Amino acid sequence: MPRIGCLGRIIIVTFVLLVLLIIGRLFFPLPMPHIELAAEEVFSIAGFPITNTMLAAGLTILVVGGVSYAATRRMRLVPKGLQNFVEAVLEVLINFVEDTAGKEYGRKFFPVIATIFIFVIANAWLALIPGFMFIGIGEEQVPLLRGANTDINFPLALALISFVFVEYWGFRSHGFFRYMRRFFNPRGLLRGIGQIFRGKLRSGLGSLFTGVIEAFAGLIEMISELVRIVSLTFRLFGNMTAGELLILIMLFLIPWVAVIPFYGLELFLGFVQALIFGGLTLVFVVMAVTPREEYE
Amino acid sequence: MEGIGIAWQGLLAQLISFAILFGLLTFLLYKPVRRMLDERSNRIKEGMEQAELIKERLSQTERQVRQQLEAARKEGQNVIAQAEKMGEQVKDEARQEARQEAQAIIARSRLEIDRERDEAMEELRRQFVDLAITAAEKVIRETLDREKHRRLIAEVLEEGAKEGGDG
Repeated sequence: MPRIGCLGRIIIVTFVLLVLLIIGRLFFPLPMPHIELAAEEVFSIAGFPITNTMLAAGLTILVVGGVSYAATRRMRLVPKGLQNFVEAVLEVLINFVEDTAGKEYGRKFFPVIATIFIFVIANAWLALIPGFMFIGIGEEQVPLLRGANTDINFPLALALISFVFVEYWGFRSHGFFRYMRRFFNPRGLLRGIGQIFRGKLRSGLGSLFTGVIEAFAGLIEMISELVRIVSLTFRLFGNMTAGELLILIMLFLIPWVAVIPFYGLELFLGFVQALIFGGLTLVFVVMAVTPREEYE
Repeated sequence: MEGIGIAWQGLLAQLISFAILFGLLTFLLYKPVRRMLDERSNRIKEGMEQAELIKERLSQTERQVRQQLEAARKEGQNVIAQAEKMGEQVKDEARQEARQEAQAIIARSRLEIDRERDEAMEELRRQFVDLAITAAEKVIRETLDREKHRRLIAEVLEEGAKEGGDG
């Protein structure tokens, strides 16, 4: 068998792909994908629209809840089968959270972090089931199900929950005023003004200057906390939507075969996004509860 | 905002779905698994402590057994040594006794032999005397004084015996 060089391999792969493309386009065409950024309404209950992503989220809840129920229905001290698997996964998550947040906080943070992780990854992976998006309904053939991660409302909801969670723990662990001082820090300003009034003009101006900087830093701090909502939302939304579109387009362009690597990619991406969302929330909450010397 | 589909209904629905999943997982997954993990780690800790205890006890027992074995062996050796000594003694005694008995038997036999020899000699002498008398009677063919003869012959024999005994 003659050795095939790097270039030769590329040519062969390209050729095979082209042949597959032509065969797929000619003999097994798939319909032009139905691309819609916003979640579509499937039906409505008393004026409240039920979208396909809500249904998908509901399906995720059913599947995850069902697996959990099946795994923990009859717990054994020596686990096997599903219980073993679920325990192993959960133990990895517990260790991840407790390594980052410490034993004491880890126990308290774990449920929220784990739920975020599980929800995101389950949404992403369930949406990869072939045919998930291809069950049309109604006259316009609206897809019945669509991965909840690709509806901006879901990442936004998660980001809001993450934000509220982080700030709640910040307030709770430091006390209201002490935690607020991170964002509104007028002490330097007030001291400077006081010094000027007492006639110490020189040191008063110095304090005034540092006070302005401190107040500004607090403002930046607040903005950065708020921006997290946006960044968390659009990171998840953008990645998952792009992945979904990628698969749809690849299915349309080169049906059947060429899409398989992208499925693998999307599996990995779903895991990574879930890890990022949960991990960032964890890091933020740890930052929020960690005392800072400058404010203590 | 319309284009990417932010809608309060969707947001609300997803918040609710998160809350539902959170509740479900808390009761179906986190709590039972947590409990199980804690229980298991407790069990393992207990088990290890127990194993440690058992190991300690085992080594203690082993030491005791070894000590007892040592003592038993020493005692056994003592017993054996004593028995050997006793056996030796018994053997000596038996040998002594046997020798004494043998000597007694020999002495008794010698006595018997002496006695029988004496008897035999006496008998022989008596027969010889009778024979001599008869012979003398036959030689002389007449009976003189039988008593005289006998004494005469006895005297002669006595002398002869004395000579023979000495010889």
